[in-house]
Amino acid sequence: MKLLQNSGVPIYQQIADQFKTQILEGKFQQGEYLPSIRGLAKDLKISVITTMKAYELLAEEGLVTAVQGKGFYVNAQNSEMLQEQYMRKVEEALNQAIQVAGIAGLSDRELCEMLSTLLEMKDTEG
Amino acid sequence: MEGFVTEDAIRIVGLEKRFKGFALEIPELSIPKGFTTALIGENGAGKTTLLNILAGVRLDYKGDVTFFGKYSGREEDPYVRNHVGFLGGDNYYMPHWTVEQVRSLNASLFEGFSAEKFDAYCRALDIGGAGGGRKPVRSLSSGNKVKLMLAGVLARDTNLLLLDEPASPLDPLMREALCNMIREYIDAGAGERTVLLSSHNVSDMENVTDYALIMEKGRIVEQGFVTDLKEKYILIKGDPEGADAARKVLMTMSSSSYGYEGLCRAEDLDRLAGLNVETEVPSLTAICVGIMQQYSSLKALQDIARM
Repeated sequence: MKLLQNSGVPIYQQIADQFKTQILEGKFQQGEYLPSIRGLAKDLKISVITTMKAYELLAEEGLVTAVQGKGFYVNAQNSEMLQEQYMRKVEEALNQAIQVAGIAGLSDRELCEMLSTLLEMKDTEG
Repeated sequence: MEGFVTEDAIRIVGLEKRFKGFALEIPELSIPKGFTTALIGENGAGKTTLLNILAGVRLDYKGDVTFFGKYSGREEDPYVRNHVGFLGGDNYYMPHWTVEQVRSLNASLFEGFSAEKFDAYCRALDIGGAGGGRKPVRSLSSGNKVKLMLAGVLARDTNLLLLDEPASPLDPLMREALCNMIREYIDAGAGERTVLLSSHNVSDMENVTDYALIMEKGRIVEQGFVTDLKEKYILIKGDPEGADAARKVLMTMSSSSYGYEGLCRAEDLDRLAGLNVETEVPSLTAICVGIMQQYSSLKALQDIARM
């Protein structure tokens, strides 16, 4: 796990984001416990309250469940839920692109071409 | 943080200790169990007095102190004596004692003291160097004295550590090691172990502090989990034109001809509307400095320099 001290993104947010990605990628199984808050704090050399806040963020999003005295385990159906969240984000971003294209006077075809070009560029960059 | 319940490692009610020209007054205070709490304040704010009272070094106070939810600080309860470790002051161990004597005294005073662990810490922390266990305490540097006290408390089976300015005499490398030792101690306790430390170098301990107590002139003027304090206060930076308007809103502010910077309560942020400002999440150091400046008598320093 990489944590950046001066990125402007709070440390707890960085931790939550990285666990979120790992959960989505299936690196944690359903029912599996995340590392203990105090153990993680020790390993990452940060305060306990920071890891706790990160886990609470994940719990708020429904990704994990807190069990008093035991820790936080990964919920079922997360990946579907997360997938849906990401889909919504993609839709949002595309809608925004359509809106801006309208302002710029781009035709629908030109917009589609631009998207294809960008996708091709990304693929060739690997 | 909102939404989760913490138990108290220490509970203080109606604490009062008066000296000539100084009074420590804490109507109510809880130190959360399972976390590291930092007692932060200027020199003379009362940090050492409070820690001495909690450690049982001082008994001439009014009020009640409860440990682990059931033991009173007044009664010499063996459970409290064995499970609370204290590191404080230069003269905690007598100057003529040798490292070996410190070990055997700890062993006879406290149940659960592990001589093997103590020796391992002494070796790892390089206390005494080549002289080994026969070196008297007075010949140790102040940094090595702190290390020796650390070895003494960490070799015991405690649930609460009270550390008075542990970082001050240590070099940067050892401060980092101290933070790691605290995290390891807390982790090994699985929620049952608590650390209360005092420090005037907040930045050294920022990455280990969960709960902050800010003390001024014998009173706790602000407290909370660090994550909550970082939402309660906002660091504001702005252009010189807005300085006068911002001064009315910000708690504290420093300005120059290039701009200003100051701490603002989150609820007051609306009142800065219209000014061109950047907001930032403050570090614990920035929060402490901002709050301490409100009370500090150092305010006039700048004016003297201009005289």
